[in-house]
Amino acid sequence: MAVIELHDLTKRFGDLLAVDELSFEVDSGQVVGFLGPNGAGKTTTLRMLLGLASPTEGSAIINGRPYQELDRPLHAVGAVLDASDAHPGRSARNHLRIQAMLGEVSRSRINEVLDLVDLTSAADRRVGEFSLGMRQRLGLATALLTDPEILILDEPANGLDPEGVHWLRQLLRDLAAEGRTVLVSSHVLGEVAHTVDSVVILDRGRLVTHSTLDELTVGVAQVVRIRTPKADGLRLALELEGAQVQVVAPDRLEVSGSSPEQIGNLAAMHSIPIFGSETESTDLENIFLKLTNHTNAAKAPR
Amino acid sequence: MTLLVRVELVKLRTVRVTYGLILTVAALTGLFAVIESSEAGKTSGTYAVASLTTAAGQTTVTTLTSWSMILAAVLGLIVASGEFRHASATLTYLATPDRKRVLLAKLLAAAFVGAIFGLVAAAVSTGLGLAFIAGHGDPIVLGAATMLGHAAGAMVGAPLLAMIGVGLGSLIRSQLVGIIAIFIWALVVESAIGGLFTSIRPFLPYTASTALAGIRLGGAAFGPAHSVRGGSALPFAAAAVLLVGVAALVSVVAARTTMRRDVA
Repeated sequence: MAVIELHDLTKRFGDLLAVDELSFEVDSGQVVGFLGPNGAGKTTTLRMLLGLASPTEGSAIINGRPYQELDRPLHAVGAVLDASDAHPGRSARNHLRIQAMLGEVSRSRINEVLDLVDLTSAADRRVGEFSLGMRQRLGLATALLTDPEILILDEPANGLDPEGVHWLRQLLRDLAAEGRTVLVSSHVLGEVAHTVDSVVILDRGRLVTHSTLDELTVGVAQVVRIRTPKADGLRLALELEGAQVQVVAPDRLEVSGSSPEQIGNLAAMHSIPIFGSETESTDLENIFLKLTNHTNAAKAPR
Repeated sequence: MTLLVRVELVKLRTVRVTYGLILTVAALTGLFAVIESSEAGKTSGTYAVASLTTAAGQTTVTTLTSWSMILAAVLGLIVASGEFRHASATLTYLATPDRKRVLLAKLLAAAFVGAIFGLVAAAVSTGLGLAFIAGHGDPIVLGAATMLGHAAGAMVGAPLLAMIGVGLGSLIRSQLVGIIAIFIWALVVESAIGGLFTSIRPFLPYTASTALAGIRLGGAAFGPAHSVRGGSALPFAAAAVLLVGVAALVSVVAARTTMRRDVA
């Protein structure tokens, strides 16, 4: 069942078409990556979805209604739009206290979410003294305060150090495991690739694709790196099967046009030992770049 | 609505600017009480104050509450525009998508804190004024009821200006522009219009708010058109109605224009 629905959502700022007839749905319990380069219209879309900006045309609804008409919006949706939307002069605890009052949740929940985002020791410091990463964590704590079923996160990895990104991935996995619906935006596919069920890719306000990661990688040449003591033998066998092979070192090959499974089977048939194999991890990023560049090129003549 | 007002009050209690403004009200009121009490009885100069032996002189030094009015307007402005300055409007409207309810809660919360401003200013001015009168060995000719009436007037005038400030802050969103506008309006615009058109003078909002607190026309501690004589202040009820009207007008215009805009 779709809990988030966008129908022909359009936003125009003067001559600039920021979001162009965008339609997609997010089903309950799904984790969806909302991707696009900077300026693609992701934030504008999320702001329209949350009733903070009004669409020029089209509609965005949550649980069957526009956000403004939800009964207890904070209990339905938790959102992190901008890490800096807390008053810098207020302590993190007081910031959460105000949100807890608005969400009508108990004060003990404040300690729980502070603990969850690892800000307990900084709770009584003023938000203005926080690093960007700490403010992101505070934003997530704020969104989770009311224990909402749906989470809408705009670039939550911004400002996080590698440890923070790792923490965020784990948090998203935990939220997904709890059956929550998550729409998380990012301009870096790799940030969310490990967590999402599907991706919505946006470029210049238009939908490029809404698909699973598997669908996205189908038909795209992968590069598989192989370490084997019989590199020459394996190269010959692979080339006979039609794969493209590069010998990068006496015991290392880079193979495209063949999957790791096919390579493994072929090696076994020829009794060639394989000491290691890895699929190039930048593939997703390349696909993402290709998809968004392709759209740019297609749109240029207009 | 009670919850939203309580939330707005907690917001005000948990930032330093509120306390800073209250201290500023107390300090400036105290400063002007000392200056004007010391000047009392001298007939020359712009800030001529009648002798402390007279009811007029005693009224002047016990009603130097006009700073509470101006700073209450500033507080109101910050209550509304601060949400945009610090981008916290996003969270506020996510919790309460009905922006008119947010505005109403802010009007009521700012009015409550405005009343505290009025109370602080009245206590400081009355206390210091009476101390100066007693120090001179003069008898106190003002009745307790009169002085309480003036204090109550300050506690009505300051909240109403705080509400006008909320409307203004919602309308223009820019805190800096708003604060400059408040000071220019109170000191320059009201002086100019009040000086040129004596008949309009009592109806100017800041002048009307000071009239509520028993301050004679042109007698505000930090206020417009000191040198202009003539005209009489609006009666209490008329001044109050006028200010409620201005606050309502600015708020309704804000609700119908700026507040409908996208929150960036």
